[in-house]
Amino acid sequence: MRLPQFTYHSPDTLEGVLALLDEHRDNAGVLAGGTDLLVRMKHRLAVPKVLVSLKHLDTLSYIKETSEMVSIGAKTPIIDVIRSNRVQQQAPALGQACERIGAVSIQHFRGTIGGNILQDNRCIHYNQSQFHRTGRQPCHKDGGKICYAREEADRCNSTCQSDGAAALMALGAQLNLCSSKGERQVSLDAFYTTDGIHPFDMQPDELLTRIDIPIVPGAVSVYQRLSFRSAIDYPIVCAGVRLVPDPDDAGCIKSARIVVGAMGRSPLFLAKVSQSLAGKRFDDIAAVAQAGKDAMNTAAAFAAHNAGAALPYRQAMVETMVIRALELAAAQASMKIAR
Amino acid sequence: MTDYSIIGKRMPRVDSRAKVMGKARYTADLKLPGMLVGKILRSPHAHAKIVNIDTSKALALPGVKAVVTGADTEGVKWGVFAYTRDQQFIQTEKVRYIGDEVAGVAAVDEETALAALDLIHVEYEVLPAVFDPMTAMTTDAEPIHEEFPNNINIHVNIDTGSVDENFKKAYYIREDTFTAPEESYFHGEPYAVAARFDADDCLEIWMPNGGPHMKSKPLSNAFKIPLHKVKVRKITIGGAFGGRSEICPADYICALLAKKTGCPVKIVFTREENTIATRQGHAMITTHKTGVDKEGRVLARETTCYMDGGAYSSTGPIATSVPFLSMEQAYRMESVRYNGYRIYTNKPIRGMIRVHGRGFACGLDTQLDMIAEHLGIDPVEMRLRNSRQPGEFTSTGSQVWSCAMDETIKKAAAAANWHEKFGKLPPFHGIGIGTNSVQTGFPMGIRGGSQSFIKFNEDGEATVMSGVVDNGQGNENMLVQIAAEELGLLPEDIHLVSADTETTSSDPGSYSQVSTFVGGQAVKNAAANCRKKLFDVAAKILKTDPDKLTAKNRMIFVTDHPEKSVSIKKTVRVALLNFTSVNAEGGYWPRVDMKREWVSNPYGQMCEAFSFGTTIIEVKVDPDTGQVTVLNAVACQDVGKALNPLVLEGQFEGSVAMGGQGGMLTEYHDWREGRCLNPTMLEYKVPLACDMPEITGIIVESVDPRGPYGAKEAGMSIAMSAAQAYAGAVSNAIGVYMDSFPLTPDKIVAAIREKRQAVK
Amino acid sequence: MQTIDITLTVNDQQQTLPVKSNDTLLEVIRDYLDLTGSKEGCGEGVCGSCTVLLDGHPVRACLTLALEADGCAVTTVEGLADEDTLSPLQQSFIDHGAVQCGFCTPGMLISAKALLDENPSPDRQKLRQALSGNICRCTGYAKIVDAVAHAARPESGCPDCHTKDSGGDHD
Repeated sequence: MRLPQFTYHSPDTLEGVLALLDEHRDNAGVLAGGTDLLVRMKHRLAVPKVLVSLKHLDTLSYIKETSEMVSIGAKTPIIDVIRSNRVQQQAPALGQACERIGAVSIQHFRGTIGGNILQDNRCIHYNQSQFHRTGRQPCHKDGGKICYAREEADRCNSTCQSDGAAALMALGAQLNLCSSKGERQVSLDAFYTTDGIHPFDMQPDELLTRIDIPIVPGAVSVYQRLSFRSAIDYPIVCAGVRLVPDPDDAGCIKSARIVVGAMGRSPLFLAKVSQSLAGKRFDDIAAVAQAGKDAMNTAAAFAAHNAGAALPYRQAMVETMVIRALELAAAQASMKIAR
Repeated sequence: MTDYSIIGKRMPRVDSRAKVMGKARYTADLKLPGMLVGKILRSPHAHAKIVNIDTSKALALPGVKAVVTGADTEGVKWGVFAYTRDQQFIQTEKVRYIGDEVAGVAAVDEETALAALDLIHVEYEVLPAVFDPMTAMTTDAEPIHEEFPNNINIHVNIDTGSVDENFKKAYYIREDTFTAPEESYFHGEPYAVAARFDADDCLEIWMPNGGPHMKSKPLSNAFKIPLHKVKVRKITIGGAFGGRSEICPADYICALLAKKTGCPVKIVFTREENTIATRQGHAMITTHKTGVDKEGRVLARETTCYMDGGAYSSTGPIATSVPFLSMEQAYRMESVRYNGYRIYTNKPIRGMIRVHGRGFACGLDTQLDMIAEHLGIDPVEMRLRNSRQPGEFTSTGSQVWSCAMDETIKKAAAAANWHEKFGKLPPFHGIGIGTNSVQTGFPMGIRGGSQSFIKFNEDGEATVMSGVVDNGQGNENMLVQIAAEELGLLPEDIHLVSADTETTSSDPGSYSQVSTFVGGQAVKNAAANCRKKLFDVAAKILKTDPDKLTAKNRMIFVTDHPEKSVSIKKTVRVALLNFTSVNAEGGYWPRVDMKREWVSNPYGQMCEAFSFGTTIIEVKVDPDTGQVTVLNAVACQDVGKALNPLVLEGQFEGSVAMGGQGGMLTEYHDWREGRCLNPTMLEYKVPLACDMPEITGIIVESVDPRGPYGAKEAGMSIAMSAAQAYAGAVSNAIGVYMDSFPLTPDKIVAAIREKRQAVK
Repeated sequence: MQTIDITLTVNDQQQTLPVKSNDTLLEVIRDYLDLTGSKEGCGEGVCGSCTVLLDGHPVRACLTLALEADGCAVTTVEGLADEDTLSPLQQSFIDHGAVQCGFCTPGMLISAKALLDENPSPDRQKLRQALSGNICRCTGYAKIVDAVAHAARPESGCPDCHTKDSGGDHD
């Protein structure tokens, strides 16, 4: 499959990248590992006139830790995240998510954490070849007025199938975005639009440079996902959770963050369900079961039939994924107490 | 047992060195001077009339060398049988599926060729389309092919008589319906074809093929040129699995572009094209009604099968028959009635595939398990009570000379610890058995036999010419082993000229599991004739009788006095100096009933040998997610004689992956109005290394009286029985007999939940 | 369309090549350098037939711009043997019958090499994981896993070693 034509730039500095993005804006594409963008370009789903490569920006590849946070450069390869002791200790859910991305020989060396977060939303009706998309009405994301994933839908229902994003949202991560005008911080919770065509609240001249994961003393986190194959597969449903113990009573949950992924246009932070666990004990089976049910009931409505597996199955599996993640997190917490 | 020096040995394949070095050239790797890039314009509509095609803008694009449409063809319709000629290689009047060929372009590079496709303007009048066989049979809409009312392409009817009477005698009768959607091959290599016309106007063409002679004849028909002018060349092939058996419209389009431009042209399919525009496996709806006596022996069976054939006939008559044949070979039935319907729909074309009729076969075994449970019989015992025995005739009158089906069942059961496990496993663990039988060779008419020619070179090495093709399964190595064994040479002394229509004689190809039985036997006979000539020369040198000689390890020696010997090299040189030929030919023609025909007369000797396979699978099901983990896989087949156990095990293992793991757990096509939603490996879940269990392969040798060294088909009986065993194991684990295949997690979870509801 | 010169060290040979911006590394090694051992099986990074080593790491050549590889060392299947002497991994693939149609073999060998370069004695599960980015339709992976395991521990068995341990695992 042949790529469309484009002009290629590989600036040596961040400033150089930002200047090009400012200049070309919507006509520019940012090339990190290319494992998502180049496939879309081959299908002519993205046809940027200019590709701005981050090849020389090794300064954006790092994992650092302060007392408050773990910071990961956006260009850090997935493999580095998987192998990082800091991530394993402070943000295990992210490590677990990264292990499930693609396969060792595809994403792990070329794919980057920033690229995973910013991988475009997917839909089985949209992420198809140019040939597949001819001879039928274009869908919303393809410039038309139809949604093949959900009858009568007035907008695009493409799904965010990023493993990393669901885990990071559960970890309460913040993104650092730079443009030639300056930089800003945005929490992942607030980073998503409700538009499947342009899922990220990000300007065309902005570049994701860093992900900050707050370190919360005693917190445990887990990522669970379901797919039909052991690798080279996007999640059809996933869940990330972070549980923070009460400093005064280690057997008790002070706060929880439950995020369900691959079920909507963005990872879904389920605030109410999360809230329901505050004050509950880690071994409160009934509370966990209820949280699973509530998570399913809340998340189910967001999903469209566009990720291969039967929709009712994906919806039902939200409960299982959330319960499993919570149970594993509780087990981690009790091990920490035992230590 | 005969002591062979090369046959039966675990021999690494002769073709693997080039492959591990990256030197083996596949069609897409070919480069010829001045070669152009070809691309095909395909229909974006499932069913439409072609009103007009305007190619002028495409032709005007710089770099475009030719554009061809149906108007450039001789208008020949192709079909495997005289009564199934329904497919033009480029459509002229209407298109019948999304992917149907409409035009071809040749250009200086891929970008230009793709741009040219966009500039061809086709005006269509969209027609109502049908996507499922049951609707297709009853619709009032315009039939997909005028000549076939109700869109019924093929009807195979088999009736041995006494079915109704025997149902009346039955102690227990069950009727169940099973369904399965389409599956695909996902060969490693996407389809590709390269073609050129030489100075003598001969077409030289390279492509993955299931038999070069199966390609040359339709091409000579389509171009209306003599057969000798079509030279299908040998090329490395990246898998077939039944999906390379027929001519592909791209072969013709590529050649037509080469003819028009006077340049070599190469067309390489995208992965999507390989999925939608080669062949697929049929979707099926199968109803089995089975009546048994108190002991579980089948007295009567009535099977009705509706097969979604897609837009054209392809191998329709064969495809409509093979699932039934596999059943009647494996299991005895006192009486049986079969009605198989292949129905046209506006979907991609369905043809032959390794697991032929998973819905059919898995349904049958599932039903046997249901009956066994009702009667309180163990599933293994149930199979032994109905299994084919050597010497018997199948329901349609094929005699089965060699058969060790019982041995495969017993050995597999022992290796899998069946009796310790069945009914005794923890919750959501299960074990299942599948047994099946595959034909070694179908009636193929004029190309049913194979001929080989062997010449000795003056260095004492031999060149073997054979039409047999290697799709990746190891046929080349098989020929080398046979020739080396018969000639008394080492494998490295044998040089193959194969799979080339100019230099090799007619051969059925790797079609119908026949390469070893027919093509291998032809080489064996040629080599035996060659050896006879050698022995005549050597006898004079050694001053003995030719009957008293043996050839082994490059030497000819007196059998009872091995110290009296002469090298083959010297023998050949002496022969050449005396102007004596040491070259020879040999052939093999299967002894089948030539009056048997798929539709008009489905009775008589079908083929010479039948193989039998049993697979047992043990699984664990996650009741919450429906995901299946395979704990143990045992594959056991009666292969007649294992010519190379190393190669056979590889066939068994690949069969478990494709037939069982993929075929029964994850692989199926998903559609929206004739548009395939999962044409690539991303969404079509071919199993990966991490998904696969370790596999125990067990070879059983019944030594077929007619096969070369006793050999017959190997591997496909495992692919079929593996699907059945996976189905049985999952059903056993969850306590629900599943009737919709493959057994994806959503169906498994739904079945578990439904059962829980019912218990409440 | 303009071309840009890049420098690649392919199988230890340094070359300067004019490439187009939209050429992939796979197109360059197959079409410009005629190293056709690396295959295009899907073109979208799924099948693994185009896997090559880029500065020692396995990558999909079909999803790597040639320009991005400028200045890098590339190892393809053609670079595994020393002239006519096969690497132990290649020999093990032959001995164990790990090659059938051979189309996935080059990518499979490269992924296996990447694994063994980093972890000379992986257990079977690690090994399966490392190969799970490469699709093989012929073998069911059994003999491929045997071949890599044997190459990792040649002392552990004969060319037909059948020391099987626990199998694959879903989660």
